[in-house]
Amino acid sequence: MITIDIELKDKPGELLKILTPISRHGANVISIIHSREEKRGGKVPVRIVIDVDDKEKLKKILEDLEKEGAIIKKIDGKDKKVYLDVVVIGHVVDTDVRDTIDRINEIGLVEDLDLIMPHPDKESSAMMRIIVDEDKIEELFYLFEELEKEKGLLFIKSIF
Amino acid sequence: MDIIIIGFGAIGKGVAKVLHEKREYLKKNYEEFKVVAITDSSGAAIDEDGLDLLKAIEVKEKTGKIKNYPEKGKEISSIDVIRNVKADVVVEVTPSNLETGEPAKTHILESFRSKKHVVTANKGPLALCYKELIEEAKRYNVIFRHEASVGGAMPIINLAKETLAGNEILSIRGILNGTTNYILTKMEKEGLDFETALKEAKELGIAETDPTQDIEGLDTAAKIVILANSIMGMNKTIKDVKVKGISRITPEALFLANKRGYTIKLIGQIKDKHLIVEPMLVPIDSPLNVKGTLNVAMFETDLAKEIVVVGRGAGPIETASAILSDLIHIYNSMKK
Repeated sequence: MITIDIELKDKPGELLKILTPISRHGANVISIIHSREEKRGGKVPVRIVIDVDDKEKLKKILEDLEKEGAIIKKIDGKDKKVYLDVVVIGHVVDTDVRDTIDRINEIGLVEDLDLIMPHPDKESSAMMRIIVDEDKIEELFYLFEELEKEKGLLFIKSIF
Repeated sequence: MDIIIIGFGAIGKGVAKVLHEKREYLKKNYEEFKVVAITDSSGAAIDEDGLDLLKAIEVKEKTGKIKNYPEKGKEISSIDVIRNVKADVVVEVTPSNLETGEPAKTHILESFRSKKHVVTANKGPLALCYKELIEEAKRYNVIFRHEASVGGAMPIINLAKETLAGNEILSIRGILNGTTNYILTKMEKEGLDFETALKEAKELGIAETDPTQDIEGLDTAAKIVILANSIMGMNKTIKDVKVKGISRITPEALFLANKRGYTIKLIGQIKDKHLIVEPMLVPIDSPLNVKGTLNVAMFETDLAKEIVVVGRGAGPIETASAILSDLIHIYNSMKK
C-alpha cells in the first residue's frame, strides 16, 4: 500500500480526474481523504491510499496525476515537492519575464509572482513562489545562475 | 606572561585597554600579563619591565605614532622587535589584507621562528594560507590562536573545536559581518535604499570609508574560509568561495520578502564542501534573524544537532575579549 498526499484545485470534477489514471493503470484505491477544511491558497489537500504492486506502475500513475494538474506533495510521508520562495532583482520585465518563467517551469512551477517596479530606469524586484521536486532543486539553482549571467538578474533564495 | 602587540590601531589599542583594565583580575587569577613592546608602522615602544599602557594609548592618539612614547620609543621595524625582544606571545593585529595577507603573514611566521606563540585577529593570512601557518606553528612547537578573526567577541572557533569537541560539524551558516547586517536592518526598518543606508552607516562609523570588502561579501568570505579550515578541516582559500554582495538589494525586495514572512540577510555558509556567501531569504522567526550589527552562527552537528551563537561581531573591546581568552588559553597551556 502506498500513501500519496496531493493538492487539488477546489473545483468540481478535479477528484474524478485523478481517479481515472489510477484505475487505468490497474491500481486499487483503498481510501481517499479529502480535507476541504484545510484548504489553503485555493488548493485542497487530498490523501489517497492505493494498492499497487510494482514501482514502474506507481511512477506512471504519479506522472499522470501531475498531468491532470495534481501537485504531489508526499509519497508515503516523504516530501516530494517543496516550496521555494525566491526574490528576483533586476530588469525583471524587460529581460522577458515570460521566458524566465517558462524556463523555470521546465523544472518546477512558478505558482505566484509579486512584482514592484519603482521606476522604469531602476531595477525592479519580484517575489516568486516555485514548487519543485526536492531532487530537482540543484538543477533549479543552476538555472538561476544561468539566468543571472544571461539577464543580469539577482536571485535571492530562501534558506531551508 | 610577556606580550608583544604588533599593530596599534583600533584593535591594538583595544587590547591594551583591556589588559590595563583587567590587570588586577589577571594577576589574581593567573599572573601579570605584561606588554613589553608595542609596534606600529612608525616604530615601537619597548620596555622589558612592562609598558605603561595608558600612556601608550595617549601617545598614539595624540601624535599618531608609538615611537613618540617617552624614552622607550624608537624607530625600529616590527620584524626586528619580534626577533629581538624577549616575550612569550605576539599579538598580531595589523590591518587585514585579503590579497597578500601581508605584513601579518611575515609577522606571524617570524614569531613562530623565534619561538613565540601567536594570537591574531587578522583574517588575511588565515584566509590565504591557513595550512602553511598551522604547519609552521607545529614545526616550531608554538601555539597559534585566532578566535578574534571570526565573529569578534562571539565564541565560534574555540566553541566548535573545544566545547563541542567530539561532534562532527556538518554545516555552518551565519551572518558574520556587522556592517552589512546593519545596512540591511536599516533598509528593512525604514524603507531606505542601499546608498542611503550605507551613507548613514559611514556617518556612524559602522561602515569603513572604503566599505567594499564588507558590502561585496569578501569579509564574510574570508571568515567562512577560516571556519572551513580551522573547524571542518578543509584546505580552502578565499578563491574557493562563491561570493555575492548586498549592493543590489532594494527596499522593494525587502518589502516583498517581509510580506511573505522573510527578511534578507547576507549569509555565509559551508555545506557539502561548498563555500558560499550570498544574500538569502531568512524566515522572520529564524534564530538567524538577528538585527543591527549583531553576528550569528548556526552549527549543525551530528550529536548536539543545532547550536546557535549570537554576539557582537566587531568593535575594539569586543575583539579584545576574544584575544584575551586566547592569551589566557596560552597561559594555561604554558603552565601545564
